[in-house]
Amino acid sequence: MEYSPSFPILLSIQVALLALVIVAPLGILTAWVQARHNYRLQGLIDALIILPMVLPPTVVGYFLILFLGRRGLVGSWLEALFDLRLVFTPAAAVIASSVAAFPLVVKTLQPALEAVPVELEAVARSLGINPVAVFFRVTLRWAWQGLAAGLVLAFARAIGEFGATLMFAGNFPGRTNTMPIEIFAAYQAGDDTRAMLYVGVLTAMSTTVAVIAARFVPRELRR
Amino acid sequence: MLRRSFVGTSLLVVATVFSATQALADDAAMSVGAAMSLRKVMPPLMEAFRASDKGGPVQANYGASGALRQQVEAGAPIDVVVFADAATVDALVKSDRADPATRKVVASNSLVLIGPKDAKPFRFQTIDTLEPGDKIAIGEPGAVPAGRYAKEAFETLGKWDKLAGHLVYGGDVGAVLNYARRGEVAAAVVYKTEVTGIVDIIVLDHATGDWAPKALVVAAAVKGSAHAQRAAAFVEFLGSAAGRKLFSEHGFGSP
Repeated sequence: MEYSPSFPILLSIQVALLALVIVAPLGILTAWVQARHNYRLQGLIDALIILPMVLPPTVVGYFLILFLGRRGLVGSWLEALFDLRLVFTPAAAVIASSVAAFPLVVKTLQPALEAVPVELEAVARSLGINPVAVFFRVTLRWAWQGLAAGLVLAFARAIGEFGATLMFAGNFPGRTNTMPIEIFAAYQAGDDTRAMLYVGVLTAMSTTVAVIAARFVPRELRR
Repeated sequence: MLRRSFVGTSLLVVATVFSATQALADDAAMSVGAAMSLRKVMPPLMEAFRASDKGGPVQANYGASGALRQQVEAGAPIDVVVFADAATVDALVKSDRADPATRKVVASNSLVLIGPKDAKPFRFQTIDTLEPGDKIAIGEPGAVPAGRYAKEAFETLGKWDKLAGHLVYGGDVGAVLNYARRGEVAAAVVYKTEVTGIVDIIVLDHATGDWAPKALVVAAAVKGSAHAQRAAAFVEFLGSAAGRKLFSEHGFGSP
């Protein structure tokens, strides 16, 4: 019953990419709302967005179990209505990674969106382009470096997610044993060869990502 | 006025940090690295040891035996280890970290198969009647002795290979117990001593028979300890009549 050593590598990449698929649209929408609108409670929402960055991952994991566990507030409904159980599934790993990565997309993209001159958008609209097209063809194109940096950082955070993942998705060999989970298990078992393999892979990937992200961070935001 | 309150606050901060450091570096107390499965029996054992004539201040930290072994190997200030198996203690003896002269089997334990209250009636021998999606929680076999015993039991019964894709690994035996309590798994393998007083699970089966692994609780003093004598005395105490009585009261078997 041994699993291939490449499984945790492939699983981690899949989990991080799926997390990106979830947080990219949500993050873009949230960043746009926060950058372009003024409403009551905006400050509160701003604080809530960065909460996963400042909360200990174990607290995030605890909340996930409280809400989405089999006996959780939402989890019990998911099971009753759709026969869906999340704990110990790859989907749980994707959710944990998404929660961790979401603030990075918003917080990196939002200042880039705020730097887009509103006059530019007004001109585009006056030419009869619909607002959605204006957002994609003008605003987001202008802020693309912020978006790229946000997505790259989000990927790095997602692929390294450990604490909430361990609590919510667990160590289910062949299902949820991502690289960070394997490193922890291997260290506890004294299996340095196995730990070093994934430490090496994750270090190489994260370093690459950091170098790419640094290139994308817009000049005006670098100070 | 402002300056005075600044000085006052600074002194308070310094005093707090100082007392916290003192508390963290409480040299007088001997430190026991104990298996997670001993978290209920260890406090009364330590209390009785403190009160005995060779006793003294002692504190414990708990974890998977394999994880504690890594801490000792890395030089953590642990004076005595009490692990849930012999192999992990013997690994410390082999790496010259534990003193072989003090190594002692102090109690024994056995495995049970448990499940949430609505669990299907699995038994160790019928564990391969799992349906797809049913999960069985055991300790991570590399670091958690309860997990290694569970693996041995299923291997002896010829069921291990059939459990592929069903096993979820807990980081210690307490985590495994709680996976069952939260209803996240169909069944879990823990020690008999884990289930005393736990109302939200049911015991499905006891591991008895020649296929059942013998789970031993093994203690040894760590070499180079600043409390070498007291550490050896503590191991002696665990194996004494008083120690055995406390182990027995908490459901452990004789060594």
